[in-house]
Amino acid sequence: MTVTLELTYDMAKALGTRALQVEGARTVAEALRAARERFAGREGDFERMAGVAAIAVNGVLVAHRREGVRLADGDLVTFVKTAAGG
Amino acid sequence: MIKGFAGRVLEVDLEARTAVFRPLDEAIARLYLGGKGYGTRLLYDLTPPGIDPLGPENPLIFATGPLNGSLAPQSNRFAVVCKSPLTGGIGSSACGGSFAFGMKKAGIDVLVVRGRSAGAVRLEIDGDADEVRFLDASDLWGLGTGAAQKALGKGMHHAVIGPGGENLVLYAGIVSDARIAGRCGVGAVMGSKRLKALSIQGTRKLDMEDEAGFKKYTQWVRQVFKGHPVLGEKLRRFGTMGIVNTTNGRNMIPTRNFQEGHHPDAMGLSGEYLEDHGLAGVRSSCLHCPVACGREVEVPGAGRVKGPEYETVGMMGTNLGVTDLEKVSHWNWMADELGLDTISLGVTLGFAMELQERGMLETGLRFGRAEGVAEMIEAIAHRRGLGDDLAQGTRRMSEKYGGKAFAMHVKGLELSAYDPRGSYAQGVEYATTNRGGCHVQGASMYFESTGPLTINPQNLKLKAELPVVQQNLACAVNSMVLCIFTTYGLIPRQVHALKPGGWTHRLARVIFENSGPAYRLIMGSKLLQVTWLDTWLSRITGLRFTPGHLQEIGARIFNLERMYNLREGLTGADDTLPERILREPLFKGMDSGHPLDQLLPRYYRIRGWDSHGVPLPETLRKLKVRT
Repeated sequence: MTVTLELTYDMAKALGTRALQVEGARTVAEALRAARERFAGREGDFERMAGVAAIAVNGVLVAHRREGVRLADGDLVTFVKTAAGG
Repeated sequence: MIKGFAGRVLEVDLEARTAVFRPLDEAIARLYLGGKGYGTRLLYDLTPPGIDPLGPENPLIFATGPLNGSLAPQSNRFAVVCKSPLTGGIGSSACGGSFAFGMKKAGIDVLVVRGRSAGAVRLEIDGDADEVRFLDASDLWGLGTGAAQKALGKGMHHAVIGPGGENLVLYAGIVSDARIAGRCGVGAVMGSKRLKALSIQGTRKLDMEDEAGFKKYTQWVRQVFKGHPVLGEKLRRFGTMGIVNTTNGRNMIPTRNFQEGHHPDAMGLSGEYLEDHGLAGVRSSCLHCPVACGREVEVPGAGRVKGPEYETVGMMGTNLGVTDLEKVSHWNWMADELGLDTISLGVTLGFAMELQERGMLETGLRFGRAEGVAEMIEAIAHRRGLGDDLAQGTRRMSEKYGGKAFAMHVKGLELSAYDPRGSYAQGVEYATTNRGGCHVQGASMYFESTGPLTINPQNLKLKAELPVVQQNLACAVNSMVLCIFTTYGLIPRQVHALKPGGWTHRLARVIFENSGPAYRLIMGSKLLQVTWLDTWLSRITGLRFTPGHLQEIGARIFNLERMYNLREGLTGADDTLPERILREPLFKGMDSGHPLDQLLPRYYRIRGWDSHGVPLPETLRKLKVRT
């Protein structure tokens, strides 16, 4: 089972990649753990960057999902920050 | 005369070459403020039903409000009102830049342009000498908006059209400085009058009821804006493009003509990317605006020019399947120079790409490819070849070539860059907004999907109430005339500080989502002066304003717009969304699209309209809407 984790701009800049492919993550927490591991030695940076973002699965915030935190094959997990545009 | 108004309307007849100053109607100003409200009232009163939007009988109304010229932050905007050639209904658009300031300095609240000139003409208005000069503009005809303003010189404040307006592209706009009144084809109406440019100047001072109090209060508001997470940080740092990663992450950035809501490379169109990759280093702003949400970019062959907004990178970027920021910036510059609305342009190009993809029409345009786009934009502005069809907008294209199910417009106005399947209240707003499918006539999406306290955007809670409140507020804001971003500042920084997913955030969201009628009651309260919007108005005019008054004025304007549309043949059947949005699921687990049919009856009830979307007599009476 593979899910894609799309990072915030700051995270992408720190890691040099916009998205991670994560194998075997069945929940959002497991997917986040995989992302945190990529920040080995910079956990503080990860927490700071992830702390200002909400998590969405296939565009739906986890808090609003019927499936809660469970993931399925092919899901897209994104970090979403507050923003304002015109 | 109420303070804050200059007290004068200038009526210009291009055919008779006459210019007459008349007193502003104080009764109308009390009921509708200025800007869009006053303009709508005038349009309703001045014209019989059924006029040709591109005929000389369609007045082009430029209107300011009591806040213009006051130096309140974000107050350099004017409204343009006319019958829209794109929709056949109410046409309204707003623009930043400096023209509004020039109008007030000239002592003119409202400028009504009627008739049609025999040849290309421009107007010079000297508000101090009360003089209006009709000048030959044949040397400017054909020039881009930047070149035309440069030729007009620096001494006055200008509003001009480009070749798009001259050639009656139905989504041409009017440009002031580097800003555009883009929507509804107001530039085509100006072009139909053969009016290339307006230049205005004066040295008059705005008369306020409590100038010292206003100044002191405004200083405080400026400090609030400066420290505000959106106005002082995000918008200031990243511009409106700072929202790209948010809408992309929420699966609601239009992609390939709204076939998808996410593009894996959208990050390359974001404000953060722009900041990092040296395309820009300079902010740009409307006159006296502390937010400075604009960006300047380097465009090959053009130098440093105004960069794209979120709407542009959405509609002319991901919507076309293109994520090359240099290309999109170049197209944006072309559109600005030609005087075209990038939202309608992007949707129409996306529609043409889908026609090509489905084998319905050979357009030479393909999703994901930049080839041919620049040439087509030129062809549209000059109505050459297939460009002549695309200049008519998406609705007319679909009537001619088919594809109505994926023609992304409401009432003929192309949708903006927020897919309503990820933002149900925004969908109700698109469907019901009188000028058509537009996002800044309420901006409900900010409370659903992008702002600091987002309710669940995909259930039915608050999805009829929120658009009503927001549309009313937007109508009032567009009549002061202020920038809609002023309202983003009303959400205090403490709310922004709540940790996403934390219990306080969850609690606040649940309370907001379930507030229903209480929300409308609070927003409609006339007990206290609460926000800078009502406080500014009160200190300038000397009249008492509260959030409730703004809701009432906004509802009055909204209902009058509605009556105008009904008069012009639009009906409740036009309060709909494109078939793609209604039928096609965008999110995993969905079996259809937007549930508009479940929300519209409640919206009508809240509005005080009947089941066909017609305002009830008692609603019009209560709001003092005289038709």
